[in-house]
Amino acid sequence: MQDARREGPTATRAAGRLMSLLDNQPQRLSELLAVAPDEADTPEPDMVLGITGPPGAGKSTLTNRLVAEFRKRYPDERIGVIAVDPSSPFTGGAVLGDRVRMMDHALDDGVFIRSLASRGHLGGLALGVRGVLRVMSVIGCKRVLIETVGVGQSEVEVARVADLVAIVFAPGMGDSVQLLKAGLMEAGDLFVVNKADRDGADALYHQILSTLSLRPVQAHTPHGGVSLLDQCQAHGGEPGHDEPGAQKTEVSAYHLMQPDVLLVSALESHGIEKLADALEYRAATFGQTWRSQRRQRIHDDIRDAILEEARDRLSTTLGTNGTVSEHVRHILAGGETVQSVAAKLIRRAADRQEPIT
Amino acid sequence: MNQVTHKARILIAKPGLDGHDRGAKYVAHILRDAGFEVIYTGIRRSPEQIVAAAVQEDVAAIGLSVLSGAHIELFGRVLELLKGRGASDIAVFGGGTIPPADVPRLEAMGVAAVFTPGSSAASIIEKLDKITAVGA
Ligand SMILES: Nc1nc2c(ncn2[C@@H]2O[C@H](COP(=O)(O)OP(=O)(O)OP(=O)(O)O)[C@@H](O)[C@H]2O)c(=O)[nH]1
Ligand SMILES: [Mg+2]
Repeated sequence: MQDARREGPTATRAAGRLMSLLDNQPQRLSELLAVAPDEADTPEPDMVLGITGPPGAGKSTLTNRLVAEFRKRYPDERIGVIAVDPSSPFTGGAVLGDRVRMMDHALDDGVFIRSLASRGHLGGLALGVRGVLRVMSVIGCKRVLIETVGVGQSEVEVARVADLVAIVFAPGMGDSVQLLKAGLMEAGDLFVVNKADRDGADALYHQILSTLSLRPVQAHTPHGGVSLLDQCQAHGGEPGHDEPGAQKTEVSAYHLMQPDVLLVSALESHGIEKLADALEYRAATFGQTWRSQRRQRIHDDIRDAILEEARDRLSTTLGTNGTVSEHVRHILAGGETVQSVAAKLIRRAADRQEPIT
Repeated sequence: MNQVTHKARILIAKPGLDGHDRGAKYVAHILRDAGFEVIYTGIRRSPEQIVAAAVQEDVAAIGLSVLSGAHIELFGRVLELLKGRGASDIAVFGGGTIPPADVPRLEAMGVAAVFTPGSSAASIIEKLDKITAVGA
């Protein structure tokens, strides 16, 4: 752990090793990352950005460009990339190819790229993402970009790890419209129409705008994209008006802020600066909210872990005590309900077990 | 817990200036089909880029497809760079157009395996299973 935070050629090695250990044994996170519980000393990224969208939309190419842009803006700050590709459901193997598009940065010590196989985890994220993210934070990555696999519910899943999510679309892909219809619009903070150099990009851009019922607003935000923060203020969300704490006001603005819609060409590197501006605008506005959200998510993760553990323990108990079949009779006879039996059994199981702490 | 064990991560690279990566892609796919997680880095990679990527990805092995005839230099450079980064435990293997006469020399340098165009998929997998089992 200490090695990973140092500078020099072996530090990267240590960080890489640590990520593997966490990928294979996530339950050892706390042991492996044992750092002084002095919060001020524990580095946290300014921005964790999820990048998702259909296969081939240009997520990796765009990620490569964003990394270059942020490196230009902040030459002294490290940036991390976590690139997830699907595992074969048949063999468990994978070819992780996102890095092919990011080799521009292979010799830059300020850029740490890690490829992960989804390992059958539904939702487009690998389980190891959290561990890799932790290590990247600890080694001082100020920005972390997470590229998900281009299928299914990855938009929703990555939103549980990232501070904000960019959904990448490209013209000529039938499923873009499907994705729009499938109610995934809520999951995106930014909608990026890539391949602006191609026919149909403009139409797709306007289609997304109309689906979101946005009008292109220029000049209201520093990045000149579409942003309706001004509208949310018109709706009475005036900062500090009726809210007791500054933080709360920010949260309400956060929920009212409409997504940005941007047209870019990752291939020709057009529109990348505007995209980076839009991201930075959000980081500046919501940085504090993001930090508390990360803490809330850790709460949620702990709860999920407890539920999972409890589930395991209970099913072991239920499997061995053999009284379930007796209850089945009672339920059929009408004297009990599934719910009343479940409550009884949970109480019994809990009595026999040590309390879960 | 239902711990699933996963096969090793292997980085496949195609150094050199020519753009022929059929061999590299073929090996990547047979490894995937055998359950390995393959990080494919594409064509025209320098030894420096390859080693930097391998260290970040913490792979168990690096596979180089060399068609240029410069295999002695390339493997030598990759092994040297790995050493400089404290990563000599990452195994290096290769294939491509390597004359059988050079194989003993490469092995003496520390190359873990050299496959010829005639190597069967099964023999490649068997060898890599062995190489990557150490310290996994
Ligand atoms: N014309 C054009 N092609 C692009 C652009 N961006 C990416 N591409 C091409 O689109 C293809 C897919 O790009 P990737 O960046 O690999 O897409 P991806 O979304 O990461 O793909 P997966 O990870 O496989 O889901 C490549 O051939 C890119 O060169 C663009 O702005 N314009
Ligand atoms: Mg990709």
